Amino acid sequence: MFKLNLKIALRNLWRNIGITSINVGGLAVALAAFMLLMMYFTYETSFDKKNPNFDNIYIVGRTFPDFKTNYTPPPFGKAIKENFSEVVAVGKMKKGGFELAVSSHTSTVFTKQQLFVEYEAAKMFNIIPEGGLKKPNGNEFLYYLSKPYMQTLFPNKKDTKPEMVSIGSRSAEQFGEVRGSIVPDSHSNISFDAVSIVNEIGTGESYGHPNYFTYIQVKPGTDIASLELKINNLYHSELTKNGMVDEGEDVTETNAFLDPLKNQHLKPKAGSDANYKVLIALSVLGFLILVIACINFTNLSIAQAAKRAKEVGVKKVMGAYRFQLTIQFLIEILMQCLVATVLGLIIAEIVLPKFNSLFLVHLSIWNKENGLIWQLPVILLFITLIAGIYPAMVLSGFKPAAVLKGNFQTSRQSYWLRNSLLVVQFSIAVIFITGLLIINSQLKYMRTQDVGFNPEQVVYVKNLVYYTKPEVFAPVREKIMKIPGVKAVTVANAIPDGSGMGGNGYTVEGKQHSLSFLDVDYDYFETLNIKLKEGRAFSTSFQADAVNSAILNEAAVAKYGIQNPIGKTIRGCNIDYTIVGVINDLKAEGFEKAVEPTIYAINNPCGNPKTEIMVKVDEQRMAEVLAILKSQWSDINKRDGDNFRYHFLDELYGKLFAKQEQLQSVFFAAALLTIFIAILGLFAFAKYITNGRIKEIAVRKILGANDLQIFKLINTSFFVMVMIANLISWPLAYILTKKWLETFAYRIEIPILPFVLSALITIMLTIITVTIQANRAVRANPVDALKYE
Amino acid sequence: MIELKNIEKYYANKGVKSYILRHVTTSIKQGEFVSIMGPSGAGKSTLLNILGMLEEPTYGEYHFMGEDVTAMKERQRIELYRNHIGFVFQAYHLIDEMTVAENIEAPLLYKKIPGAERKSRIADILDRFNMVAKKDLFPNQLSGGQQQLVGIARALVAQPSIILADEPTGNLQSAQAEQIMDLFKKLNQEENITILQVTHSEKNAQYGNRILTIEDGVIKEDVTVK
Repeated sequence: MFKLNLKIALRNLWRNIGITSINVGGLAVALAAFMLLMMYFTYETSFDKKNPNFDNIYIVGRTFPDFKTNYTPPPFGKAIKENFSEVVAVGKMKKGGFELAVSSHTSTVFTKQQLFVEYEAAKMFNIIPEGGLKKPNGNEFLYYLSKPYMQTLFPNKKDTKPEMVSIGSRSAEQFGEVRGSIVPDSHSNISFDAVSIVNEIGTGESYGHPNYFTYIQVKPGTDIASLELKINNLYHSELTKNGMVDEGEDVTETNAFLDPLKNQHLKPKAGSDANYKVLIALSVLGFLILVIACINFTNLSIAQAAKRAKEVGVKKVMGAYRFQLTIQFLIEILMQCLVATVLGLIIAEIVLPKFNSLFLVHLSIWNKENGLIWQLPVILLFITLIAGIYPAMVLSGFKPAAVLKGNFQTSRQSYWLRNSLLVVQFSIAVIFITGLLIINSQLKYMRTQDVGFNPEQVVYVKNLVYYTKPEVFAPVREKIMKIPGVKAVTVANAIPDGSGMGGNGYTVEGKQHSLSFLDVDYDYFETLNIKLKEGRAFSTSFQADAVNSAILNEAAVAKYGIQNPIGKTIRGCNIDYTIVGVINDLKAEGFEKAVEPTIYAINNPCGNPKTEIMVKVDEQRMAEVLAILKSQWSDINKRDGDNFRYHFLDELYGKLFAKQEQLQSVFFAAALLTIFIAILGLFAFAKYITNGRIKEIAVRKILGANDLQIFKLINTSFFVMVMIANLISWPLAYILTKKWLETFAYRIEIPILPFVLSALITIMLTIITVTIQANRAVRANPVDALKYE
Repeated sequence: MIELKNIEKYYANKGVKSYILRHVTTSIKQGEFVSIMGPSGAGKSTLLNILGMLEEPTYGEYHFMGEDVTAMKERQRIELYRNHIGFVFQAYHLIDEMTVAENIEAPLLYKKIPGAERKSRIADILDRFNMVAKKDLFPNQLSGGQQQLVGIARALVAQPSIILADEPTGNLQSAQAEQIMDLFKKLNQEENITILQVTHSEKNAQYGNRILTIEDGVIKEDVTVK
C-alpha cells in the first residue's frame, strides 16, 4: 500500500509541478536561511565548549560605580588560590599592547595579538603548542608563534628545535627564542597569534596594576554565589591590607565578581551584550522565516484540497481509516520537505561564502561540530509537522457523503485563519521593508554628514617609536615633508578610528569635570582638516604651545559653560594650560556615541606616548608618495624603519560603520526573503480564491460585468488585507526603528517616506500577483464554468 | 439483510424542520435487486447514503445483517465497508492518479489481502470485464462506459454482499447504460449479490425485481417486478 500511495503522491506532485515547485522552492529558500542562522547560532554559543572544564571556569572581574572590567591586579588571583579550597586552579593572562615585528633572517611577520599566559591558564584552556605543553623553568618565557607565521619565518624547518628571531625593529637588536609553533583555537575566547607561556606573570606588581585577566577553575558543583561573595570579601580585605585605601580607593565602591566562561563571548558582565541581542534577534528572524514558509506550505496544500477530496471520499468508502489517510498526506508532505531540505542545503552551501564574509566567521556545512547532523532531522520533522498536520487533518477529515456528491467546494470556515496568516506574513514583510528603508536613510545620513574632519588621503603609518616630544619628531616631519605631494605630517597618541582616548579631571574657573584627552603634535588639525571655531591651532611660532597650550572642542567648552574661552586657564595633570583655540566637534568615534568633551595638548605627561604617525597626501600623488615613503622609511624612522606598514585612515574610520552595514545587508536579505515568501503564499492563495469563485465570475460575466470590474472584485479583498497588514506593522516598525535609531547619538528623524513606500511596494506586488491569477478565471469561457459536473 | 424502521431525516433551520425522509420503514433481503425511484429532491440519494452509512438518520432504527448500525463505532462501520459493501457512483469517482489496475487493487489493500491473491483477483476481474488490455491506462484515457465498468470492478473485487449504486448510468449513453444494467442483473442472478440502485429511468428500474418509489421523503409505492 505504501508503494501505491507513494506512486499516487509522485503522480500528483508531478501533475501540479508548478505549485509543487513553488511550495518546495519557497520552503527550501527559507530552510537555507534558517540553517545558516542555526549554524551561526551554534557557532556563537559554543565558544570554548570543547574545553572539558567549560562549566567550571570563571573570570574574575571588578565592578566600579560607572563600569565593570575584567582587568584585575595580579596578586588577587594568588590570594584566591591560597584562600579557597574549592578553586582548583587560577591562571592569569595579559595581552601585549603592540603590533610587533618578528623576523628571521629571511622574512618578517607582525604579531597582532601577543598573549602572555601562565602555565596554569594554558592548562585550563588547552593552549597546547605543537609537541606538547611544557612547564617553563623558573622565570623562563616559552615563546610560540602561530603556525602560519612560523611557516613564513622558517619555510624549510623540519625539526622541532627552537629558533632565534629578532623582535621589534632589527636595529634594536632584541632577540628571542621561538620554541615552536602553535595552532590557536579560533573557536575559543582566548585568541592570539603569538603566545608566551610563563610560570607566573605580574610577579612584581601590586594591587595598583590591574592589567591582567584572572581565570579560576572551580570544583564541579561549587556554589558560585557564595564563592563570589567570599571572593569579594577577600578583595576588600586585600585592598585594605595592601594599603590601597590610603591611595584614594574606596573599598566599598569596587567589588569583585565572577563571570562564567560560557558568557564571555556573547554577554560578558564587563562589556556589551549587543552581540547576544543581535544573535537572539537573528534566531527569531530565522525562525519567523521558517514558520512563514511553513504557513505557505500549509496554505498551498489546502488550496489543492478540492482536487484530493474525491480520493479521500473514495478511499474512505473502500474502508480506509482516517489515520491511514492522515499518515498518507503527512508522508507526502514529508517527501516534499525532504526535497526542500536537500535543496536548502545546496542553497546554503552556495550563499555560505557571502554569509561568512558578512558575519566574519568561517562556517562550513560539512563540519560535524556545527551540530547540523542531528539538527537537520529534527528540523525536517518539525517543519513536516507544522506544515503538514493541518492540511493532513483537513484532507483526511472530508466526509465522503459530501465530497462524492459531485459539485464539491471546500468549506469557507478556515478563511479567517488563512486571511490572518496572510496578514501576518505581509506585516512581517512590511516591517522589514520599512526597517530596511530607514536603515538606508540613516546610513546615507552617516555617509554624507560632516564628521568634523577629513580622513581621506590621510595615511596612517605604523610605528613603535615614542615621539612624545615635538623636538624628537621634528626631524621625522622634516624628512617626510620633503617628499613632493605630502601636505602635512603629525603624530598623536590615538587616531580617529573609534579607539578610545584617555580621561582625566580638569578644572576651569573652579569647576572640575572629567575630559578625554588627546595628545597631538603640530599640524594635527591641518592633517585632519579640522576646522577651528575660535582662536588658533598649535604652531611652532609660539613656544608655549609645546609646554602648556591647549585646544578644546565645542563639547568641552559647553561642559564647563565658559564664555570667551580663549586665554582662560584649564588645569589638569598638574599643568596650567592656556586655552588657545576651540575646534568643531569631530565624530571620531562614529555616530553612536556623542562626541566626548576633549582637550588637545602637545604636552601631557598623563597621556600615553605618541606613536601614531599620520600623513596627509595630495590625492594625485598618493602612489608616488607611498613608494617614496616605503623606500626611505628606514632612513626617516631610524629606530623602527625596517618595515613600512600603513593603512588609509578613511578605511579605518569606515570600519566604524561596518556593523551598520552588516545590519543593512541582513535586513536587505530578510526583506527580500519575507516578501518573496509572502508573494508565493499570496500567489497560491489567490489561485485558490479565484478557483473557488470561478462560477461566480462566470455568472457575473454573463450578467454583463467587464474584465476590469472582475479584476477589481477579486483584488478588493486582498487589497484590504494588505492595507490591514500595513496598518498593523507601521506602529511596530516605527517603535523598532525608533529603538534602533536611539542607539545613535547622531541620527535622522524618522521619515514618513519609508512607510508610504513599503505600503506602495506591497500593494503593487499584491495587485500584480492577484491579477495574474485572476486573469485565467476572467479569460475562461463562462459556459465551461457553468456546466454541471 | 437490511431492516429500516421508522427512519427520519430532517434539518432544523431556525426552529423549522425541513424533512428529507419521513417514516421510512422497509426491509431488503439478501439477493434482492431493488431500484429506488422518484422525482428530484424526493430523498432517494439521502436514503441510499443512510443505507451506505455515509449519513446518519436523525431518528429511527437501521439493522444491517442483524446489527444495529446507529450504535456502531466508526471502526466497525469501516469493517463493513471493507467486507460487505461496494459503492458505485454516477460520476464513477475513480482516482485519477491511479491506473485501472491500481484503482481495482485499492480496496484489496485496505482489506489486507496478500499480494499474490490481489494479483490473481485483479487479473480475474479484468478478464471477466474484458479490460485486460486497458489495465495500465489512466481513467481519463477511458470512455465513460469503460470508467463505470472499472468502478463496478472496483466495487466487486472485494467480494461484497451488497452493491449500492447512485444513478450508475446517469452519465452514460443508452447503449453503454444497457451494458452496465445487464452486468448488474447478471451479478444479481449468478452471484446472488444484493443490489440497490437509485435511478430516474423506468427502463433501468425494470432490470431489478423490486421498485421503491419515494416522493417528498415518504415511500409511496413498493412493487415487485415480474
